Amino acid sequence: MNLAAEARLRCCGRGASRIFLAAWLAASSAIAVVCDRASAQTAFSLPAPPLELPFLPPVSGGWTVMIGAEGTSTPDFEGAKGSRFSPVPIFSIRRAGSADQFRSPRDSASIALIDFGDFRAGPAGKFVSSRKADNYSGLNGLGDVNAAFELGGFIEYFPLDWFRLRNETRQGFGGHHGVVSDFSADFIVPVTRALTISAGPRFTWESTKATAPYFGIDAVQAMASGLPQFDAKGGAHSAGAGVQVKYRINPQWEVHSYVEYDRLLGDAANSPLVTLRGSVNQTTVGVGASYSFDVRIR
Amino acid sequence: MHYVMRCASFAAVVLLALCSSADAIFETRDARLQAVRTVGIISAVGDQFTFARGGLTGPDNGGRSLPIPSWDLDDMIVQQATATLSGRFQVQRVTYDRAAFAAIKESPIKPVALVRGDPFKKLVESQVSPQGLDAYIVITKAKANFGGGNRKIEGVGLITYATVMESYSFVYALYEIRVIDGKTFDVIEKMAADPLDNAAEVRLGGPSRLTDESLSRPSDSGPDDSLRKAIVDLIDQSLPVTLSDMHLR
Repeated sequence: MNLAAEARLRCCGRGASRIFLAAWLAASSAIAVVCDRASAQTAFSLPAPPLELPFLPPVSGGWTVMIGAEGTSTPDFEGAKGSRFSPVPIFSIRRAGSADQFRSPRDSASIALIDFGDFRAGPAGKFVSSRKADNYSGLNGLGDVNAAFELGGFIEYFPLDWFRLRNETRQGFGGHHGVVSDFSADFIVPVTRALTISAGPRFTWESTKATAPYFGIDAVQAMASGLPQFDAKGGAHSAGAGVQVKYRINPQWEVHSYVEYDRLLGDAANSPLVTLRGSVNQTTVGVGASYSFDVRIR
Repeated sequence: MHYVMRCASFAAVVLLALCSSADAIFETRDARLQAVRTVGIISAVGDQFTFARGGLTGPDNGGRSLPIPSWDLDDMIVQQATATLSGRFQVQRVTYDRAAFAAIKESPIKPVALVRGDPFKKLVESQVSPQGLDAYIVITKAKANFGGGNRKIEGVGLITYATVMESYSFVYALYEIRVIDGKTFDVIEKMAADPLDNAAEVRLGGPSRLTDESLSRPSDSGPDDSLRKAIVDLIDQSLPVTLSDMHLR
């Protein structure tokens, strides 16, 4: 049974998130100190839960828990010139020893329901946070865009152990009702058994309904913002590249860093919001560290 | 007031119904195992040894499998499991078609596998003799992912993983254990053997250890005796722990 459950918690925002990050780091440090750092032996054993659900596999056995934190610098909003810092807690739990499979920072949450080894597919989902005009001067007069959920699927193919092709296509709900399709390729190069570098190109296509809420400017918005009216259409949305470095210091500690660069294309790049107040160059940078320990449930 | 009373009555009825059926719905596997007295043990793990390559390799890295019937791994597993379980259960010798058990592959399409049910249930019902024991313990090959990509390995073997600066080899024995009810043929419990508690920087999803790379070249006469010893050692160390994790001892 190679069941792996993984959840990555992400939170954005400024003041509250800094407090949250501090608390998270403190808790992580406390756990890291309690656990025996010098070995990868089971940190502690827990009793099995008194109840079991009939359709779920047993929880008994070894589990690897990963905790950590990541700091990311992302554009204030899509098309913005400035960027903001967001702390992101890392938490994952998986069966002991099961491989921490390659994951690009761009990947949405997904589950592989079809898994042939080199070919995988399944549902994927992404949360796009709301865009509040009050938060950034560049958005003055443009009004808010609600948060959106994007639900769809992914397919990925490994023609070689060290090369991955992936596509995610998702339908938006809430803040936008369009279709977003992300294409990526990653060369995954293990340099040593502790160091892995991956890099590759990215491309995003978006429908008009996915582009217009963020880059279109209607008559009312034009009056309020002073920007010219603009009817944003869908199409090629962005192209770029990403690079990620992971270094495992010892069986417990791992550090990672990544840079993702996008250049906006099409009507996203031509929108007055971008040409007059923003930038077509969008860069996301992340640095993080995580600590893993084993738990045995008897 | 009447509305509140009606709601309270309804809640009380629901609570009573839940309490009375909770034992059945949430019956733990431990409770089901309490009723088991006689068991038969089936093993179909060790029919072949696979030499595989991963990491920075070319497209032809599918691996090479060699038959290892002379190792008698499955007989050894049955003997060791029998010795481990005899204190609690009455273990009876069973006969079965080992090749049929070894040939079973789970569907890579998970919803299909869910709808189809566990493939070993029917085999236990039709291929194992004698029938009528309280439970059957079925030990078969397990799969695990290895490396950053999506490379899968299965059963017993050796994988050599190439990086830019070095390459290293792992010998592995991946297996999973099912406890199948002898009357209903439901799977009472299923668990894959965990990795051994070792401090390796790289681990597999099952019993494994780093090994000498000189062992990674398969010879025409098959895997040599040092590989057999390494596999036997992995099973020796992991089988009692796995049976214990399944609350079978």
